[in-house]
Amino acid sequence: MINRNLVKALRYRYVLLAVGLILLAGGLVLLPKQEKHKGITSAELLSNAISPERYMSTDEIAHKIVNQDPSILLIDVRDSLNYQKYSLPNALNIPLPKLLDDNSMTFLNQDQYEVVFFSNDNFDADKAWIISNRLGFKNIHVLKGGLNSWFKTIINPTMPEENMPANAFEQYRFRKAASMYFGVVYPESVIQQSTEQKKVPKKVITVKKKKKSTPEGGC
Amino acid sequence: MGPLIPNDLIPFEWNLVIAIIIGIAFGYILESSGFSSSRKLAGVFYGYDFAVLKVFFTAALVSVIGIFYMDYLGYVDFSMLYVHPFYLWGALIGGAIMGVGFVAGGFCPGTSLCAVAIGKIDAMIYVIGIMIGVFIFSEFYSFFEPIYDGYFYGNITLTESLNISPYWFILFFTIFGIIAFALSDMVRKKVKKVFY
Repeated sequence: MINRNLVKALRYRYVLLAVGLILLAGGLVLLPKQEKHKGITSAELLSNAISPERYMSTDEIAHKIVNQDPSILLIDVRDSLNYQKYSLPNALNIPLPKLLDDNSMTFLNQDQYEVVFFSNDNFDADKAWIISNRLGFKNIHVLKGGLNSWFKTIINPTMPEENMPANAFEQYRFRKAASMYFGVVYPESVIQQSTEQKKVPKKVITVKKKKKSTPEGGC
Repeated sequence: MGPLIPNDLIPFEWNLVIAIIIGIAFGYILESSGFSSSRKLAGVFYGYDFAVLKVFFTAALVSVIGIFYMDYLGYVDFSMLYVHPFYLWGALIGGAIMGVGFVAGGFCPGTSLCAVAIGKIDAMIYVIGIMIGVFIFSEFYSFFEPIYDGYFYGNITLTESLNISPYWFILFFTIFGIIAFALSDMVRKKVKKVFY
């Protein structure tokens, strides 16, 4: 008895399969559509956002500018008024609202340059970084502390106190030399000006190179 | 989540191993469903056996519906899947040549290897024919190159180029497939049966 029923049902097996396929395909049409987000997943974005890897210090940037590193692309995300008042040398101006324009995409969506965002502090630059990171762009960095920190550390470095470690003095010397490169004039350098004025920018390069070459030789 | 290898859920090195396993399974299913018989394959052209049409159409339907459901549920990222590049004239001419070969020889390249595995002599000759074809193509590559590389339209899909909703397209494709199954069954009943 059971067998006969089964045979009867199985006579329609192809019809049933066909109906099943059509129902499944129709289900796809009827499903509520959801917007798919582009770029990386939210979990990845979160883990990237927490990590401080994106930050570059002002010293690093100063070093790269002084050495005329061709691989960095400085991007000022403040509005154009502030940009015209002051910005880092050779920086491009892409205000935050214009970040997703087609013109700015050519600078952001590439893998040849190290893009460094900066603003007055790092908040606006962080916003720009979050957006570009979510879209999956590579090599995007943020200047830690922004231009405020740039002024505090590079343009107007504070002299270390006598009881501070030696590398604080070294850092100060580097920062002072860098600030000279960016056009700050110190009273003591004015006196030397008459003898050799052009030595200043060159000195900067040699100082840093010495630092670099010692570990290289060790290896 | 998926695709598994591009997302590094399975290391890249497993690529070939998985390919071999899938290939063996594919060959086994081809053989066990009778696709290593040239008469069964050629039957679709003469109207006495539509197994080829049914199997490949069903495979396409099941996979396309499955992939879209998995994409919807987030198991597979549809945009990361490989889309075959479209060379217009290369595809047309190549398809025509392959079609002639299919009718004349009774195999497509995959099933011919399957039939070689079970020792069919016609399939062996067919594979030698493929080798000769490959040899001729390679020797005259510079002559064929403009067609082979030209008329390139990118890695496009039908829904992208026609700009229609993929979901509606799948539904119509499914209905079309099922009509094709029904029609082919009607044709098969009218055509004189061939025993092979």
